[in-house]
Amino acid sequence: MKALESDAPLIVYVDIKSPYAFAAIRPTLALEKSLGMRFDWRPLTLDIPSYLGSARKKEGKVVESTRSTSQWSWVKYAYRDARRYAERQRFMLKGTEKIWDSSIPNIGILWVMQTARDRLGDYFEAVYPPFWRRELDIEDMAVVEACLEKAGIDSSGFAEFARGEGRAEHDKLQPQLHPSGIYGVPTYVIDGTILFGREHLPYVRWHLQGREGPAPDIAYEIDDHEAQPC
Amino acid sequence: MLTLYIDFKSAASYLALEPTLELARETGISIDWRPFSVRPFSVPVEQDEETVGERHRRVRAAAQRDVHLHYAAVQGRNMHFADTPAGSDAALAALAVMEGDPVPFIRAAFTAYWSKQADLADEAVVETLLRSVGIDGPDWQKAKAEMASIRSKAEESGIFETPSYLIADQLFLGREHLPWIRSLIAAEQGD
Repeated sequence: MKALESDAPLIVYVDIKSPYAFAAIRPTLALEKSLGMRFDWRPLTLDIPSYLGSARKKEGKVVESTRSTSQWSWVKYAYRDARRYAERQRFMLKGTEKIWDSSIPNIGILWVMQTARDRLGDYFEAVYPPFWRRELDIEDMAVVEACLEKAGIDSSGFAEFARGEGRAEHDKLQPQLHPSGIYGVPTYVIDGTILFGREHLPYVRWHLQGREGPAPDIAYEIDDHEAQPC
Repeated sequence: MLTLYIDFKSAASYLALEPTLELARETGISIDWRPFSVRPFSVPVEQDEETVGERHRRVRAAAQRDVHLHYAAVQGRNMHFADTPAGSDAALAALAVMEGDPVPFIRAAFTAYWSKQADLADEAVVETLLRSVGIDGPDWQKAKAEMASIRSKAEESGIFETPSYLIADQLFLGREHLPWIRSLIAAEQGD
């Protein structure tokens, strides 16, 4: 798997522990469905402490932190912003108590893409909303297996995959990302162009629909319709 | 009233200008323009031995620059990132004490910075810009004090970057929020 190459019309990089990716899941799935296309969904397991400092909370209070004031301002705003858009989609988004290792559920994305592509939305539904309600320990293999089963996906063999072939594929992909110009999620790769953030969905839609008329500016698409499952 | 914090050396602020003015025209809402100086933007030079964090910041900055250039082209706007970015504090101070419609000056300052690499930290440069739109130079001491006062209050409101929009007790960073801001304006207007 090469970071910028795919047979699909669009590559989408996401991470289960990213609130911005969480807010992007539903609109990106909706775009995929409305266009009748199949995007190439891939994991990008963020190394958050390397660029945003690290912090650990206990009972709502920060008990460990290496973050600067400006990093805290950014993190706090980012959570508030993701939360209001998540709530607009009828989701609950609680700030995490620690920086999780999300590699197992992210390898789950690879598993679903290979074994049950049509159920990817169900998998996201089984993982993202409960994780952001602080109901899932995503570092526990059994928990991720249960999410797969809940999504109607056979989890037999997943643990072996997550420790072997899937882990290798995941770990081989991650070091390619920075050199390819990819640093965060959600990231959309479209004909070699890298676009970070769901504000590019209007442009992605315009491009995938044949680039008719003037290109749109960035915008978070807001949807006042009733919430639909992922 | 829509409160908008901008900095002339912020590419995102520049690209937010015309879409925000279009929103104001369509909805009739007035904009309270406020100065807020942010750190100059630059793309770090690649080092032989980078930490993951250093590499992340370099890749992120390069991507942000490329995306700004991409949408500048979409908006039909001339935009050039200087290797050594100039300052903007004198222009921001002038904005802090400006009376009347500041938009002609704001347009002139953004254009001078992003297409001609004008040094908007230079009071003489800013006075020339002000004269070009029919405005006299300010009392600089008073202007700087007012800018500092605005900054202090802005930081209390949680402002740390630009363009930042304040409306209905909500803070939005970036023009990508204009659809939601539009819906809040409509709600305030009782549509």
